[in-house]
Amino acid sequence: MNHLPVLAVALPLLVGAVLVLLHAVPINARRVVALLGALAQLALSIALLRTAADGTVSVYLLGNWPAFAGIVLVVDRLAALMVLLTATLGLIGLLYALAGQDRRTPHFHALFAFQVAGLSGAFLTGDLFNLFVFFEVLLISSYGLLLHGGGANRVRRSLHYVTFNLLGSALFLIAVAVLYGVLGTLNMADLARKIAQAPAADAAVIQSAGLLLLGVFALKAALLPLYLWLPNTYAAASAPVAMLFTVMTKVGVYAVLRVYTLLFGADAGVGANLAWPWLLPLGLATIGLATFGALAAQSLRRLVGYLIVASAGTLFVAIATASEASIAAALYYLLHSTLATAALFLLADLVRRGRQQAGDSLRRVDALAHRTALGLAFVLAAVSVAALPPMAGFLAKAMVLDAIGVQGHGAWIWTVILGSSLGVIVALARAGSHLFWRGDSAPGPAGAAALRPRLPERAALGLLLLLGVALTVFAQPVSEFTRATAAQLLAPQALIAHVLGAQPRAQLEPTP
Amino acid sequence: MELLLASAIGVLMAAGVYLVLRARSFDLILGLTLISYAVNLCIFAMGRLAPGKPPVIRDGAALTLAQHADPLPQALVLTAIVISFAMTALLLVIALRARSGSGSDHVDGREPGDQA
Amino acid sequence: MLLPILLALPFAAALILLVAPRVGRNFAAGVVACAALAGMGVLAWMAPAMIDGEVLRFNVEWLPLLGLAFSLRIDGFAWMFAAIVLGIGALVVLYARWYLAEDDPPRRFFGLLALFMGAMLGITIAGNLLLLVVFWEMTSVSSFLLIGFWNHRADARLGARMALTITGAGGLCLLAGVLLIGNIVGSYELDAVLAAGDVIRTDPLYLSALILVLLGAFTKSAQFPLHFWLPHAMAAPTPVSAYLHSATMVKAGVFLLGRMHPALAGSDEWFWIVTSVGLSTMVIGAALAIVQQDLKGLLAYSTISHLGLITLLFGLDTQLAVVAAVFHILNHATFKASLFMAAGIIDHETGTRDFRKLNGLWRYMPITGALAVVASLSMAGVPLLNGFLSKEMFLAETLAIAHPPMDWLVPAFALLGAMFAVAYSARFVHDVFFNGEPECPAGIPHEPPRFMRVPVEVLVIVCLAVGIAPQYTVAPLLEIGARGVLQGPLPEYTLALWHGLNLPLVFSVIALVAGVALYYVLQRGKALHRRDDRPLAKLGFDATLERVIALSRRITAAMENGSLQRYLLLFILSVLVLGSAPFLAAPSAPAPASSLAPHPLAILVWVLAIAGVIAVLRWHRQRVVAVILIGAVGLAVSLSFVLLSAPDLALTQLLVEMISVILLLMALRWLPQVGAPEPATAIRWVHAAVAVACGVGTTALVYAVLSRPTQSVSEYYLRSAVPEAGGANAVNVIIVDFRAFDTLGEIAVYAIAALIIHAMLKGASSAVLPAHATPGPHRTSLLLQISTQVLLPLAIAMSLYLFLRGHNAPGGGFIAALVLAVALILQYMAAGVRWSEKRIASDWHAWIGWGLLAALATGLGSFAFGYPFLTSSTPYVAIPAIGAVPLASAMGFDAGVYMVVLGASMLMVSMLARLKSERGAA
Repeated sequence: MNHLPVLAVALPLLVGAVLVLLHAVPINARRVVALLGALAQLALSIALLRTAADGTVSVYLLGNWPAFAGIVLVVDRLAALMVLLTATLGLIGLLYALAGQDRRTPHFHALFAFQVAGLSGAFLTGDLFNLFVFFEVLLISSYGLLLHGGGANRVRRSLHYVTFNLLGSALFLIAVAVLYGVLGTLNMADLARKIAQAPAADAAVIQSAGLLLLGVFALKAALLPLYLWLPNTYAAASAPVAMLFTVMTKVGVYAVLRVYTLLFGADAGVGANLAWPWLLPLGLATIGLATFGALAAQSLRRLVGYLIVASAGTLFVAIATASEASIAAALYYLLHSTLATAALFLLADLVRRGRQQAGDSLRRVDALAHRTALGLAFVLAAVSVAALPPMAGFLAKAMVLDAIGVQGHGAWIWTVILGSSLGVIVALARAGSHLFWRGDSAPGPAGAAALRPRLPERAALGLLLLLGVALTVFAQPVSEFTRATAAQLLAPQALIAHVLGAQPRAQLEPTP
Repeated sequence: MELLLASAIGVLMAAGVYLVLRARSFDLILGLTLISYAVNLCIFAMGRLAPGKPPVIRDGAALTLAQHADPLPQALVLTAIVISFAMTALLLVIALRARSGSGSDHVDGREPGDQA
Repeated sequence: MLLPILLALPFAAALILLVAPRVGRNFAAGVVACAALAGMGVLAWMAPAMIDGEVLRFNVEWLPLLGLAFSLRIDGFAWMFAAIVLGIGALVVLYARWYLAEDDPPRRFFGLLALFMGAMLGITIAGNLLLLVVFWEMTSVSSFLLIGFWNHRADARLGARMALTITGAGGLCLLAGVLLIGNIVGSYELDAVLAAGDVIRTDPLYLSALILVLLGAFTKSAQFPLHFWLPHAMAAPTPVSAYLHSATMVKAGVFLLGRMHPALAGSDEWFWIVTSVGLSTMVIGAALAIVQQDLKGLLAYSTISHLGLITLLFGLDTQLAVVAAVFHILNHATFKASLFMAAGIIDHETGTRDFRKLNGLWRYMPITGALAVVASLSMAGVPLLNGFLSKEMFLAETLAIAHPPMDWLVPAFALLGAMFAVAYSARFVHDVFFNGEPECPAGIPHEPPRFMRVPVEVLVIVCLAVGIAPQYTVAPLLEIGARGVLQGPLPEYTLALWHGLNLPLVFSVIALVAGVALYYVLQRGKALHRRDDRPLAKLGFDATLERVIALSRRITAAMENGSLQRYLLLFILSVLVLGSAPFLAAPSAPAPASSLAPHPLAILVWVLAIAGVIAVLRWHRQRVVAVILIGAVGLAVSLSFVLLSAPDLALTQLLVEMISVILLLMALRWLPQVGAPEPATAIRWVHAAVAVACGVGTTALVYAVLSRPTQSVSEYYLRSAVPEAGGANAVNVIIVDFRAFDTLGEIAVYAIAALIIHAMLKGASSAVLPAHATPGPHRTSLLLQISTQVLLPLAIAMSLYLFLRGHNAPGGGFIAALVLAVALILQYMAAGVRWSEKRIASDWHAWIGWGLLAALATGLGSFAFGYPFLTSSTPYVAIPAIGAVPLASAMGFDAGVYMVVLGASMLMVSMLARLKSERGAA
């Protein structure tokens, strides 16, 4: 039988465990293991995507128990896509870290692997409580990675970040518990079926639990008013970590997509379309405030942090429209924004090294080494993030606007999104002109050589930008895939039937 | 009995939230501990209350929820206990480092009075 | 197939310049010039088709879901415009080769120039409106980079940002407008849109679409009041100004007006908006041009005014007006480009562009002077030059307007504008080449290098040729272009120098005379030199931008003040809202409860818990006390587990409680023993209220569930625990079998926590200790030591026992490991680290790693039998004194759990303990 789904989680766990055992050996050995693991993970997730591409939903019964009793992994298009995204960014981040940032703390590689495992698990699981468990896995790894490199500022940010997420986890548990208490199951497909059949008397309790979950996911995805932790936290993280974190906010987005199309979708009886009315206004407000934040940002990394928040807002606006076209656009937008912001985080790091004194500050002026090359990369990434042609960002934004249309609130949504685009353009133009144009040219060759981005770093950045370009050039196949994904999400009955119908293989007889 | 448990959970939660909202890292940890108690009891309660019926298969007891407490929430609580303990321990160490970094145990790393 | 090649040429040039190893000025200019000339060749190849009025198309799918296709389409209008773009482009490149200084990086300059050329070409031949927007925005970006080419200059940076902001905003409007048109027509293909004019004009969304598209066009073509970015764009190198800001990019706006004419024009809205904007721009631009002190400033405002003129013509919306507009596009491109180049030469040779310094250059550079004079006469609309012809047509059209009051308003202002045009042309000639002696920073001025002048000469010759013999030179080109705009047959018109004595001619004469007179009056005694030309626009733009930034800072600071309390409060409040909303919306009556009678012991535990909580709240600043109290609360919790038949939970809770208390006490040595008192502020009451609300909410929610009948899947576990999973303890079976995957994640979390703690405290003991920390004295009681040493073997046995029976009775890997861990920790406490680590030294990392591997291995093992991950098989073996033990593969998994939990717990504690001991030793 096909073990791909579980391997996508087990492999990084295995790699992590091995890396723990190797914690004392010279770092190069660990690097090799980690790199091989990441490559294997990428191969795995590509294979996984191929299985899901034609719309088949693979259900993996862990422990060979029926779905409602055991834990299932469910691979549909969305899950496969997210796993692939994770594996890709994981590999690139690792590559970047190989240039030396992985030396700053013991266990960096192990934590990195565990983080990937947690992300993949969260994307693949079909069980609500198991989703919580993998949230915890990816969160605690992220704590370790955030602290990676030390420093008082990082520690304080981590304190805030951890506190937040601990409350979030408590909330998650309560919500799951209540759902179990009312419906008596944890399997998402089973929950979906039972919510659809739930009597009106249970409506309030079920909806309340559902909305508490929304609170949890909104916290992860940085939605108003729960985004405040993000800019500083991400700004405090080291570059490879920050770029992996760009996927973490997307976990929240994923969870919203999954839970509120599967459990609380259009035909979920008492829980029908639970989240959309909340997400639309909050998303719009988030875009607005994030744009102000981007304009106000005084360091490149905070600017990028706010761009991530803004993209989350845009995503939720598109998702809340809950049409096939809008969700397809949202998924395309998700891919683009993840890649572009990740690239910007790496750039911010290289800029910080290139300007010895001023770091990535947007107030202080300083010479910048290798500014032509960095500037070129910045233009590419910035053009994409600012949704300017010809990069993917433009296509994504155009798709979103087109999908939302001008009917109803459409005009307002257009105004907000386009207005925020203008704000982002201004902010990025200011930042770019400050970083790459002000201040005399770079220091002498002696200094410059030392500041030169190392090969793995250049490779990582180049890969990200290249992927962005590929997303633009191959817009047709990608968008068709996201369109199909959206269709699959909006018609969950097939998935539910698949999961609940999955039969365990004949059990080994216990010898008495 | 239900009301008893529910109210206890509520009290734990309220106290926990209040302590979490104190600005000191240690109070924060106390508060989170109380909240985790509340959450664990909450999960546990969702299996309904069944005094004197441990979910261990005994001869003669019918294999129904009438004869046994619901085992699933208990398993969940076990997982939850472990995770929340791990998190608390981690937060504790972070708090130590934060204090040593800033010289203050205020969660924002500075005493309310002074700036920066 | 020619179209993609045509478009690819400039981009290819840019790419070559990007990758070429070494790039000199000659090479760079050569590459781009070749691209431009080759493009011209392609256009020439297409000429016959164009003359026959054909439309060439090329189409490739790009993003069908959006309706965006990579479709190119060239008709007469596009063809003519492309010719301008490439022709002037070639000349500009040649010019720039000599203009650029040694230290200007040619790679960047010519690369960007080529990029822009490609984008501009794309605008002209795009066959899909979205594709047009794509190229449109690309011109904005490349122009931003070109204006900022000399980025060490503040004015260049500001000019670039201003241009990008305004044109970028316009681009977004255009995008919105295009999307609207797409929604109306159902396609973005230009052919479909141009054919659907009536549908569009009758659609309710027409006005919004029109306004949005016009905003795009007006920002690009610097129409009043959005014109102010263009003068600041003059900070760009002069070739850029000549190319982008006179001949091509600013023409993109009017090109769009022409392009969309069949689809959008022909309505009153169009007439009134476009005409009035064009008219005001023409007059205001011309007036401002007179009073500039900067050579390029004058040219910039004159460009604005001429663009206004063209816009006005498109607004008039008669076929002849369109012809005139197209004609003027051609003429303006020629004479204005040549003028910019002349200005560049002057700047290059004298080192200044200031009218107040530049005087009497005629003596020093007569040839350049002559060229510039001819070009500016054309700009003024003097006969025998091309400017005159199109201006005549323009005046004729203004006199033909029917709508009052425009029928007299437009001609009047047109005359005024023409007059101003003459005035500033006169100033350009007189103030630069005569009117005194030059005071040049760059010493005695002289003629430029030969080839720098060639492009100017070419253009001036064109001006003359067209002006003298239009019907033999420009006529066919104009016909092709105009037909492209109108998408149909052309009206009757004759290109001739002499149309007989008519009103337009009279107007021209009046304008000439009055204009010269006006300049004479204004300039008497160099009066114009004393006007200050502080660019108000700049100040306004800066101020606005700064205001926006400041506002953003305020908002952001207000939202994100760095206070954790504030964020947590926000979070909790939003959760309260979310959680309670459904109940407030539809208060649901709780179903009748099957309530249990409160057990007396339960009441006791309840009281204990509540009392403990209250005590914690009361004494939470006496931290040692608080820890003990919280331990008590934990005890109450585990008691309640006992009461409610959850032995495993009770045990686990108890053990975890012990370890946490120990950890907390250890940690307290480096935290203030007594919490700082808190100022009694109102916020505390808010917090209290919120807390109470949370409590009430949770209680309500829990009770609401408890008062409902249960319907759980759990009976399955009870039924299949023994027969299928081989364990009587349903909880443990769930943990290690049914939901073992959860447990896998759980031990991973536990392990990671330990790793992080290790990483944070490793060798950081000195750093971790604040100087003012006062750890208690380090004592080890002998009694405790002995007792623990006795206790240790016992604990090991106990933990082994618990582990083995776990599958059938309360116990299991986790609990067993904790038992041992607690014993070892007591050892640490009692005997101190050094003593303990001598005896129970162990690499806890190995325990963690191997534990994880063991758990994973058992999971993967089932692959061998063709079963999914973590499938268990349960052969039993009999062990004396314990009974039949299921040697389930689940046991292997549980062993993994055991190792991880033990290793992780010990790692955490030993790190903290070592910290302490080092402090003790210090």
